[in-house]
Amino acid sequence: MDFPIFHIDFIGNRLLIAADAILHVLINHAFAIGALPIIALLEYIGISNRDPRWDQLAYRLLKVIFIVTTTVGAMTGVGIWFSAALVNPAAIGSLIRVFFWGWFAEWLVFVTEVSLIMVYFLSWQSAAKSPEAKHKHLKLGIALAVFSWITMAIIVAILGFMMEPGNWHSDQSLLSGLFNPMYAPQLAFRTSLAMVMGGMTMICFMYWFTVNDLPLRSGVMFLIARWSALWMGVLVIASYWYYQVVPQNMLANLPVAITTQEYTDWHANFKWLLIIGSLFVAWVLLESIRQPGKVHGGKYLASLVVLCLMLGQFERVREFIRKPFIVGNYMYANGIRVSDYPLLQRDGMLQHATYTDIRHITPDNQVKAGREVFEIACTRCHTVKGVNGIRAQLIKMYGEKPWNASVIAAYIDNMHGARYFMPPFPGNSSELEALSVYLVSLQTRARAIEGAQTTGIPKPDKISSATHYGTLPDLAKPQPGTH
Amino acid sequence: MTFPVPRDIPLPLPAPEGLLEVLLIVSFIVHIVFVHMMLGGSLFSLFCQIKGLKIPAYETLAYKIMQAVTVNKSMAVVMGVAPLLIINTLYAPQFYASSALIGSAWMAVIPLVIVAFLLAYAHKFWWHRFVNIPELHIGISALESALFLFIPLIYMTNVNLMLFPEYWPEVRGFFSAMLLPNVLPRYLHFVSAAILFSSLFFVWWSGRPSFQEDVKFSPGQSLVIRRFFYAFAFGATIFQIFSGLIVFVSLPPQGMSWGVTLLLFFGGSLALPALRWMWANISHPENSVDDHFPRIIALFIGALVVMGVARHEYRENALHDHKVAIAEKTANYMAAVAEVQEQAKLVEQARHTGMEEPGETGFKQNCAACHHHSLPTVGPSLEEIRKDYAGNPAGIVRWTKSPGKKRANSMQMPGFPQLGDAELLAISKFMLD
Repeated sequence: MDFPIFHIDFIGNRLLIAADAILHVLINHAFAIGALPIIALLEYIGISNRDPRWDQLAYRLLKVIFIVTTTVGAMTGVGIWFSAALVNPAAIGSLIRVFFWGWFAEWLVFVTEVSLIMVYFLSWQSAAKSPEAKHKHLKLGIALAVFSWITMAIIVAILGFMMEPGNWHSDQSLLSGLFNPMYAPQLAFRTSLAMVMGGMTMICFMYWFTVNDLPLRSGVMFLIARWSALWMGVLVIASYWYYQVVPQNMLANLPVAITTQEYTDWHANFKWLLIIGSLFVAWVLLESIRQPGKVHGGKYLASLVVLCLMLGQFERVREFIRKPFIVGNYMYANGIRVSDYPLLQRDGMLQHATYTDIRHITPDNQVKAGREVFEIACTRCHTVKGVNGIRAQLIKMYGEKPWNASVIAAYIDNMHGARYFMPPFPGNSSELEALSVYLVSLQTRARAIEGAQTTGIPKPDKISSATHYGTLPDLAKPQPGTH
Repeated sequence: MTFPVPRDIPLPLPAPEGLLEVLLIVSFIVHIVFVHMMLGGSLFSLFCQIKGLKIPAYETLAYKIMQAVTVNKSMAVVMGVAPLLIINTLYAPQFYASSALIGSAWMAVIPLVIVAFLLAYAHKFWWHRFVNIPELHIGISALESALFLFIPLIYMTNVNLMLFPEYWPEVRGFFSAMLLPNVLPRYLHFVSAAILFSSLFFVWWSGRPSFQEDVKFSPGQSLVIRRFFYAFAFGATIFQIFSGLIVFVSLPPQGMSWGVTLLLFFGGSLALPALRWMWANISHPENSVDDHFPRIIALFIGALVVMGVARHEYRENALHDHKVAIAEKTANYMAAVAEVQEQAKLVEQARHTGMEEPGETGFKQNCAACHHHSLPTVGPSLEEIRKDYAGNPAGIVRWTKSPGKKRANSMQMPGFPQLGDAELLAISKFMLD
């Protein structure tokens, strides 16, 4: 409504954010939060056993962590900002207004974290010259591990807020947003999962780095397997807690059978993945404790894949939960505020959109107007022919026989009742009609939508360039084309 | 000139506007200094590597420079987050619009930076592996420098475009936005600033005992190297002054004021005494390179701060009318939203007080999406169901409890385990009525 519409019609806007974010989360959990404590642990053992092999192994692992986190890790984090601002500026803009100081604190922690990892890594060799220097160096490592966890603790609050704004609705403050009811179980779950993932990632690299030193391998495997098994125990408890608290909270909000079913299916998948995956990972860890150094590397790699899948599935369930909203009960996934619906449904979205050149729908411009409506109301999640493409959805529903605009219109009008994850249609009846006519046209002529990054925006007309509503048609009265 | 007037995000700013502006100016200056040293360092490393093919000392120097680049690049990223956050907060309608208009290039920043950073690490960590393969050794460095040169152009294009909403309707993608007046002059001014700040940094760094211990140059060699950087700093300052004048005359009038002019010329004039001292150090071999160095640095930092303030003043001037218009439109829009919401509430209340038949609410919530009154939307229409189940509401209840698939070309109906028998019966009776 208020921003030029960026759109990618092949992979879709959702997948753009998802691909970037999942990569970021995997690196963040496996290479930072879960891996950094292990580096400090290895360095500590190296100091107390006076064994330089442990120290050098820790340094080699840290080099991997350093390279991965300061390139792909850091930039995919910035990439979430970039992609979110392009795909749903209204949502990220609103979240920033509420969480500015949270993010500012996150930034300060982030600066500390990056400075610490550079000092920790770059001063490793020079710290070896005296025991005092080495002890100081170890403290840096511990501080780094703590700060890297704090970045997650802050961001989880913001994610939790998007799912369930708790009391934020009534008093709209930062703290009430931060301490929402799902915070603690999510943080416990993520922390323990990150620790196990980090352990397994480091085990995989240690396996590779100790190919020529099998006695060292059995020593480090024994230690890190015990460490990870400990966190595995925490993960089981945290998963149970999460599973008890969050779904009940969510299921209460899901009034419709089909969505509840879909959600329960997803959640059941997640549950079984958690149970079977945890059993497998636990078995691999126990084997490593029983026969350190004898377990095949492939099993570690398989465990790591299982853990990544668990995290990925968790993120999918979490994302599914918050629909149809992008900020719970405040803004729908299409970027339109709940409070704006009555106005837009009365006047039509095109009367209020800034970047459009169609204000009145006539039989001549119906398809083009429908396409504008589709861009505003649907393209944040749907494409025409790509991922989550609307044409494929319609074929699934209505098959190959000629589609019927009034049938589609009747469905969209009530769609949110059955598909609870869909926002209600935000426009008026003539826009709904135009949208349906446009959707029918896709059966034979599906032209991909190019976003504003390619087509630009139209020249501002009277409504778009008006400095205040006084020069607009009188908004207090229903607009032409309303019912 | 007319510009599109969007509405702002109708939530209060998280802090007083003035505080956010100060934070923006300060954090941006810190960010840009690290960017300067990252880009300048990368270019110097490449240049010294090429020079090192003939004079081995420069090869050692290039390696040393590269170690600073990998630190500065991480600081550049992390320090860039704060100004990005504040720009998002203060200029949401403008910044999101300009970002979307050059969306492909803007999103490409992320993979481009990742590749540039990985190249920088390959360059540094595999230095000794590739040093004898000049094509690779210099090729990696050249590619990295090229990326570091290109990425700021995308940023420059975006922050320029956000200043001029009246140009937005003319823009078709990144390249047309890049060709708007002022982007390329500002870019040249930026690149020469990168050379200037990084060469001053290297003059200082190469004078430190730890540096000299590391590279093991003779005192004579050391002096030559430091003068080498000094000469670049001097040349870059001259270039800065000329490119600065071009930037000044090519600035679109939208943001100009006497205040901005005064600030720009005051900032620029700070470079003049620095230039004189630098010239004295270069032209007199008997002078120590370190003469007046703290003063020179202080002047350039002063110039940077003044320019940072001038830049912000220009932005505020350029966007003043747009911001006022947006605030007015937002307030009016929100008033309209509130009014219509009030009406909608009244209608809703009236609807609720009017008697709904038993089962009607349940039907609307659970069934209406797929079962339309007369049209076959997803499942069969009510008219059709009435024919099949005339006088048999219990049949609907039975079907709903264990639905199957009757029609070949429509979806199977889901079960409704959360609805009790009484409610199902009420709904079924309502459907057949």
